[in-house]
Amino acid sequence: MSSEAPVIEAHEVTKVYRLGEHQSLQRTFAALRGGRRENHELRAVDELSFSIAPGECFGIVGANGSGKSTLLQLISQITLPTAGHLVIRGRVLPLLAVGSGFHPELTGRENVVLFGTVLGLQRRAILKHMDAIIDYADLVEYMDTPMKRYSSGMEARLSFAVAMRFPAAISIFDEVLAVTDDEFTNRCLSSLEGFTAEGRTVIFVSHDASLVRRLCTRAMWLAHGRLIAIGDTAEVMDAYAAAHATTAVTAAPASVDTAVRSDPPSRSR
Amino acid sequence: MVQTDAAAGEPLGLKPAVARSWDPGFEVLVQPVRSRIRLRDLPKMRGVIGVLAMRDFKAKFKQSALGPVWIVLQPVLLLIAFLVGFHSVAAVGTEGVPFIAFVLTALGAWTYFQSALGMGAMSLLSNVQLLRRTACPRVAFPIATLIANLPAMVVPLTAALVVAAALGRLSLRVLLLGPGLVWLALVAAGSVSLASALTVRYRDLVAVLPIVLQMGMFVSPVGYTVADLPGLARTVVEINPLSGVIEMWRWAILSTAPPDAITFILSGATTVVLVVGGWLVFTRSEPTMADVV
Repeated sequence: MSSEAPVIEAHEVTKVYRLGEHQSLQRTFAALRGGRRENHELRAVDELSFSIAPGECFGIVGANGSGKSTLLQLISQITLPTAGHLVIRGRVLPLLAVGSGFHPELTGRENVVLFGTVLGLQRRAILKHMDAIIDYADLVEYMDTPMKRYSSGMEARLSFAVAMRFPAAISIFDEVLAVTDDEFTNRCLSSLEGFTAEGRTVIFVSHDASLVRRLCTRAMWLAHGRLIAIGDTAEVMDAYAAAHATTAVTAAPASVDTAVRSDPPSRSR
Repeated sequence: MVQTDAAAGEPLGLKPAVARSWDPGFEVLVQPVRSRIRLRDLPKMRGVIGVLAMRDFKAKFKQSALGPVWIVLQPVLLLIAFLVGFHSVAAVGTEGVPFIAFVLTALGAWTYFQSALGMGAMSLLSNVQLLRRTACPRVAFPIATLIANLPAMVVPLTAALVVAAALGRLSLRVLLLGPGLVWLALVAAGSVSLASALTVRYRDLVAVLPIVLQMGMFVSPVGYTVADLPGLARTVVEINPLSGVIEMWRWAILSTAPPDAITFILSGATTVVLVVGGWLVFTRSEPTMADVV
């Protein structure tokens, strides 16, 4: 841990969503008759307080719907909290889904400029790093082809290549290493280790427990938007695995991965 | 690429909080607010607006056999439609200007408004992935469509200026085109910000917009002038913010008689309401756009 000011401080952050359809003919009729049909509310993030220091690789685990992605959207300032506040010190790079900034009709090269600019880089800075980005993605011969011809793995490689050149204090990765091959995944992981060595912060969300254990220095476990455990990765992951292993046949530490993955589908929607 | 002196020698994690290239040293407070964009922030967004505008412009003509030829072909076809539709039906007072020049002068304002609003109203929906996954300023999407559709105005406007010069009608009054262009920009900006923000919450606008645009074509004095209209029809057209724009352009380019002051006042008032309302609606709904889209 460092003595510097935390790069992220969350103070009783709450995010409430309305469930159900927001606009529909039935709702309009109900409103006209004077009866107000209120949607049920979901506290996606519920009075969450924590802080993350510079240079940390911070893992977030939890079942589907536990509030991980909402929290990442809040940190990235894509959405605002319903109550509470966050203090963010430094530029944030959110990589919340691969290929999400790309336009299918534009070429790889055009899309690198587009994606980088949308994330907040200057066009000039992107063009300066273009060769390095292409090199990292290993896609030289595809760069003048429209993105709609790319495979999902190729899209992911290009997203990552831009992200790895992005000078952010806080880099966020939400389950985005699922489609790349082992060789590229390892290239990314060692880049991320390089980030933290430079004092930059990485926030990493994955359902791959072994990946979180390997990469993260500290971890947080969320359930229903609330904090269950935070601290040393091994301890949090052991507790998380143990809680989820109670539904599995074996609870031996060796089968942590399978225990997490054998979560019944009904619980993970 | 991002090494600093401080990072070179000192032990990890104990560096002073120096300004690094990836960390401009700024601090952001993320908390519930009613709106978070200010007019003075817009110039800072010109980089991303430019790239988005270029993307919208390029993507418009991809996988199209004629591609950019449509920038010219679209107004030509519309011009023919106006010539057939209006000239054969009604006698239009053109003050001696050939009807084709009379229509051409107004065409740029209409084609720009039509294509900018058509693309701009959908700008947030068509960027839903960016809206939900990146912090790209949302106001950049509608503004980019305003720029990407400029050729729809420039092509017919240039043609109109050439024709007006050929007819010997161009005078110093053409300088009035400056305020005329600003007026058109304001009408387009107000409409696009209002329509795009409402579309995020109410998809009803997607259904109603083509009809609004069709009605707009009838109540815009492209193939006629406000002076030709009687009573109520005239007032309806005068309330249309594009009417003031079109009458001003015609005055500026063809040196016809100045438009009625009432037209300017009514049209201008609608423009002000549209711009102020559009900005307020957009900025107030901007913080929750990623949640409700």
